Amino acid sequence: MISYESFTLNNGLRVLFHREPSSPMAVVNVLYDVGARDEDAERTGFAHLFEHLMFGGSKHIADFDAPLQAAGGQSNAFTSNDITNYYDILPAQNIDTALWLESDRMLSLAFTDKSLEVQRQVVIEEFKQRYLNQPYGDAWLHLRPLVYKKHPYRWATIGKNIKQIQEASMQEVKAFFKQHYHPGNAILCIIGNFELETIKQKVAHYFGNIPAQKKATRKLTSEPPQKQFRTKTLIRKVPATAFYYAFRMGKRTDSDFYQADLLSDFLGNEKTSPLYIELKKKKKICAEITAYITASFDDGLFIISGKLQSGKTIEQLEAALWPLLEKTAAKAISKSSLNELKLKLRTSRAFQDQGLLNRAMNLAYFELLGSAQQLNKEAEKYQQIKTKDLQEFALQTFRKTNCSRLIIQSQQDAK
Amino acid sequence: MLNRSQAPAIHGIEHIAFVQPQINKLKNGVDLFWRNGIFNETSKIELHFKAGSCIEQPIVASLCAGLLISGTAHKNARQIQKALDALGAYYDVSLSQDEAIVSIYALKDQLLAAYTVFHESLFAATFPTKELQDLCAERRQKFLVQQEKVSFLAQRQFQKSLFANSVYAKQIQLEDYDNVSVTDLQAFHQKNYLKGLVEVFVVGDLQGADFQELQDLLNTYQKASFDAIDFDWQNEQGAIHLEQENALQSAVRIGRPLFNKTHPDFCDFSILNTILGDYFGSRLMSNIREDKGYTYGIGSYIVEHQNYGYFVIGTEVGVQTRTATFEEIQREFDRLKNELVPQEELALVQNYMLGQLLKSADGPYAMLDLFANVQQNGLGLDFYDQLIDRIRKITPERIQELAKRYLIWEEMLIISAG
Repeated sequence: MISYESFTLNNGLRVLFHREPSSPMAVVNVLYDVGARDEDAERTGFAHLFEHLMFGGSKHIADFDAPLQAAGGQSNAFTSNDITNYYDILPAQNIDTALWLESDRMLSLAFTDKSLEVQRQVVIEEFKQRYLNQPYGDAWLHLRPLVYKKHPYRWATIGKNIKQIQEASMQEVKAFFKQHYHPGNAILCIIGNFELETIKQKVAHYFGNIPAQKKATRKLTSEPPQKQFRTKTLIRKVPATAFYYAFRMGKRTDSDFYQADLLSDFLGNEKTSPLYIELKKKKKICAEITAYITASFDDGLFIISGKLQSGKTIEQLEAALWPLLEKTAAKAISKSSLNELKLKLRTSRAFQDQGLLNRAMNLAYFELLGSAQQLNKEAEKYQQIKTKDLQEFALQTFRKTNCSRLIIQSQQDAK
Repeated sequence: MLNRSQAPAIHGIEHIAFVQPQINKLKNGVDLFWRNGIFNETSKIELHFKAGSCIEQPIVASLCAGLLISGTAHKNARQIQKALDALGAYYDVSLSQDEAIVSIYALKDQLLAAYTVFHESLFAATFPTKELQDLCAERRQKFLVQQEKVSFLAQRQFQKSLFANSVYAKQIQLEDYDNVSVTDLQAFHQKNYLKGLVEVFVVGDLQGADFQELQDLLNTYQKASFDAIDFDWQNEQGAIHLEQENALQSAVRIGRPLFNKTHPDFCDFSILNTILGDYFGSRLMSNIREDKGYTYGIGSYIVEHQNYGYFVIGTEVGVQTRTATFEEIQREFDRLKNELVPQEELALVQNYMLGQLLKSADGPYAMLDLFANVQQNGLGLDFYDQLIDRIRKITPERIQELAKRYLIWEEMLIISAG
């Protein structure tokens, strides 16, 4: 149970505060309701490039990081398809520094040409380091457009290609800021050993006079239901053939999210899952195999991915995998297995809650999803899941016509 | 009225509380460090064994660590894992050059039971041939995938050349996976696990009876005996480039032997290192990322160990800007040697380091890690008080002196791959 207080400023900024008396540190987390799904199809990677620019100086402050570091703190951020999240961790007595910095860049950026030119290069190097210069690094750049035809989840947060990042202009940067970076589009979450009144007064002081702006209505094209099995094969100079089966599922706020999450744990667990035992240990088709979900705000994916053992074929995998998935749909898992999954989840959540930053990010994330209160109801939602719920989810999800399959085939295996 | 151009006043850190764990000496002579007073129901046990990758053959250490709970005469790997799952516990093994570290995470009421599952499985481990073959096949494939990464190639070459001819230069080769037997693993397990416990760390509010039972179990190990490692440090210097066709980036590792925290220059050098490359506003980041845009990230580190320490700069840069990056790193060395660090920059780094130390001591898990960090070098928590003192008293002249002594380009080992 994470207790918190919440209030909203006149300009629309939503604020959450969680008191942690045992820590000398404070966290200031600012979540903006903008992600790669809000990008123009011709300017993909923009939300993430923009995140870099947020560290390039704001209207009254030349450098974001230096004052924070001088206050003993540090900062970072991440962009996903759904959100952009910034955070600062610093000694609690210096919380004003973080509020001053965050409020100034919410008010306005400096928009220097130098910052845009340098960060464009940095992001291009990031593109290479994480996606292009790694074996299998570009898998998701191909998997997304295979699954999504209409919805903006069809591109990755890094963007479709380097060219679009090269072409981003200062005018577009300014327009993006104006549309997405304002109090009504943000959630501020603070953790530390403070009185609520102190926080209210400080937040009003730094954020209160940032002009309000109307929150734009999001109009995304929803992804139409999939009608047939899709498949794509890339032949690459990699040592082993990798496979990605992507099944369409619902969004983060749908009730079947919890079933999907538990089922992905069941199927993905090292050593005990049916996929691991059948496909890796018994039939020796796979060298590795796992399952997970994307947990996205709009319709998401249930992924089964792994690598083949050398000499094994996709046909052998297909012949073994589908009957296994059908079995999951035909027969409920045991009650004891389900209880194990729930207990493991409880353990990992307790460890996650240890960290201040995790708590801050989670509170803001759930507030954006609807209400931070939901964070404290998560455990109960998992508890209520029954074995037949998982079975129903499997039945509904593991259909071939609901599946897209990407293969990154090793040149050796292709010969 | 708010003046946004005026930075808020900064308040210094006056005191950092470094909390000592409770120390229990087991009957077998092993130290058990326990931290309780946790505000939620999490708990963890961490066992350090003298079973690291360079103790004997790296392939044997690596596979043995991977197969610790892979089967006994009565239980197979799956049944053991199921027993841990039923307790909601997580299990993890990591390997350094000297030690294997086993960690078990569970809710506090389940920790003793989870550890008991591990303990019984470890003591009765048989290392089934089938499990060994499966793991070799899996690791072999992973090794081939790793070889496609420039960062892996550069790191391997760096280790090899830095530790040239010493026990720490030993690395797994692909063909090792075809030449390891169950007997090798069994012998290693007897010698370096059952008779190789070094120390144990526990976090969590365990009940008294549980804690007693845990100690009884831990008493069945023999304490590791430490022979002084014959460690002859003859590092190579100069540049080695591993060309990789079609690479978009080059991975770079530049470094030299240094020392660990037992050396009188350690604290002051760590301040110099922070200025050079160990925080976001460092000189390497400011120049090579934030001014030139050559890389997504660059950093410098002091890597510490029981017997040694080394200094290393790591980055991945566009292939076309590799040479320019080398030149900029040299330029930053020269600036530190030829110019005094400005007071404003030094003050920032002093505050930053104190803030990070405060964060590192925050919470029982972080605090016990901080304790383990000095413990491995035979030091106590007062080391951190000395560090704070050095951070407060450091002068630009002292930093320049250390730069001149240690940041000598000609003495560096310079590895690039890609």
